[in-house]
Amino acid sequence: MTHRILCVDGDDDVREDTVDTLRSELGDLDPIVEPAGTLADAEASLGTDTDVIVTEYDLPDGTGFDLVGRAEAICPDAGTILYTATDPGTLDTTELRGAITEYVGKDSVFGSERLADLVRTTVESRSQGSYPVPQNEAERLAALRSYDLDDEALMASLDRITDLAATHFDVEQASINLITEHSQEFLTCYGDAEEWETMDREDSICTFTILEDAGVMTVEDVTEDPRFQSRADALLELGIRSYMGANLITSSGLVIGPLCVYDDEPRSFSTAELAYLKDLATLAVDLIECHARLDAADDLAEGDR
Amino acid sequence: MSPDGTAGYAFGEQLPIEPIDAGSTVMVAGPALSPAESLARSLVLQATEDDEGSLFISTNKTSEKLLTACRRTNPALDTSLMGVIDCSGQEPKPGETDAEVKYVSTQSDLTGIGMKFSALYELLYAEAAQGRVRTGLISLSSLAMYVDLRKLFRFAQTLSGRIDSAGGLGVFAIDPTTHDERTVNTLGQVADGRIEVREYDGDDEDIDGELRVRGLPDQPGGWQPFSLS
Repeated sequence: MTHRILCVDGDDDVREDTVDTLRSELGDLDPIVEPAGTLADAEASLGTDTDVIVTEYDLPDGTGFDLVGRAEAICPDAGTILYTATDPGTLDTTELRGAITEYVGKDSVFGSERLADLVRTTVESRSQGSYPVPQNEAERLAALRSYDLDDEALMASLDRITDLAATHFDVEQASINLITEHSQEFLTCYGDAEEWETMDREDSICTFTILEDAGVMTVEDVTEDPRFQSRADALLELGIRSYMGANLITSSGLVIGPLCVYDDEPRSFSTAELAYLKDLATLAVDLIECHARLDAADDLAEGDR
Repeated sequence: MSPDGTAGYAFGEQLPIEPIDAGSTVMVAGPALSPAESLARSLVLQATEDDEGSLFISTNKTSEKLLTACRRTNPALDTSLMGVIDCSGQEPKPGETDAEVKYVSTQSDLTGIGMKFSALYELLYAEAAQGRVRTGLISLSSLAMYVDLRKLFRFAQTLSGRIDSAGGLGVFAIDPTTHDERTVNTLGQVADGRIEVREYDGDDEDIDGELRVRGLPDQPGGWQPFSLS
């Protein structure tokens, strides 16, 4: 997994020192440390996979807070650290409207080595994330990457599972979703869900589903659930008022995402309904693993020829 | 003698809690009428016995009231290695304490609270034995009235990450009776373990309440009586 760290400072010498320190102290993570001397350059370097932004407050063409605000829209999962000589007591923090940013004083006892420690924690434990992640997240993501999920025959089989789910629960929309490092991808969809595009993980209901020990999660009404109230309007626009998701759990016990059904009315689900969706999710992961085994056997046969 | 920087954080004989690993954050959960917040303060104030730093983020009490509450259980409180982020929104008053106090005008300014926390943590880290600092956030429930769960989770997670990175101890108080269970479970994800607190209804006047530790290794099982004085 590649870690992208953006290091922003208008002072060339300080910026170079900081970049060198981060590269040296975090060498085992083999990070990509990108330097930027201005707000404009920094904004141009932001990507959805930026992990950490280390920025001075005073920049030649703006402030570090301007950059934090911009990063919230482009890479909401990124951690931000204000590494500055400016006294935090003199900054108007209300303009950030509650966005979280760490602070390390340039002349502090923490110094650049402690900055590196903090960057490490931010990268490794996603400590500025706005949602919880499973404890086995790295293994889970590795499992997800190990499957070839572009195979047309497999997709056709999984499509039939979302069709079955939608029919059984009498809903207009159903999907199998994958939870990647920063986003939710729609693998196969039924109904209007076919129009849905990738969404940020922080906006996804399923990022909570994959944490469920029971393997299944229901939301009777997104407007009444504290985890989703703040984004309820966006969910309602998609026709999602109630939700049930059952996890696709690999034979190694790792969750790659859930199979979900969505209703546009508040709704509760019975124990039998939970069990049925879990069965379909198990069937889906069985199909994915069966295709993986066939691919492996084909590769082996190819090698023997 | 001060423990080394990596030793667990200890809590004195009157509290039935074994040392908790450096870098950990625990949630102290109990209803308003239970001594949960008092216990959370005591877990942090043990720092003064060990030349460690103590840092409070006080959301529901002014710094003056917080210190008064601290002195109720620790009459000889030494505030020289103590810091307070006062988020009560009330006007600062000249204090009679050498504790370092920083003010944030509103609880919804999580950016300001977080940055002042980081700055104060640095000060205490430099002065405390082995850089050991205990942080008390009292309480998450109060902050939850001002910000949505997503922002609050991110804030708590960031504090927990800073504490982990610096080898500190985090103690976050919450009143689970004022929240939806889903809120408590989500916020609980930022902590390594939970200390549940309830009122004691027996006759022993020396006992202030009962606690039960969940999710931390090598701790006593079941409900244990405790005294704060």
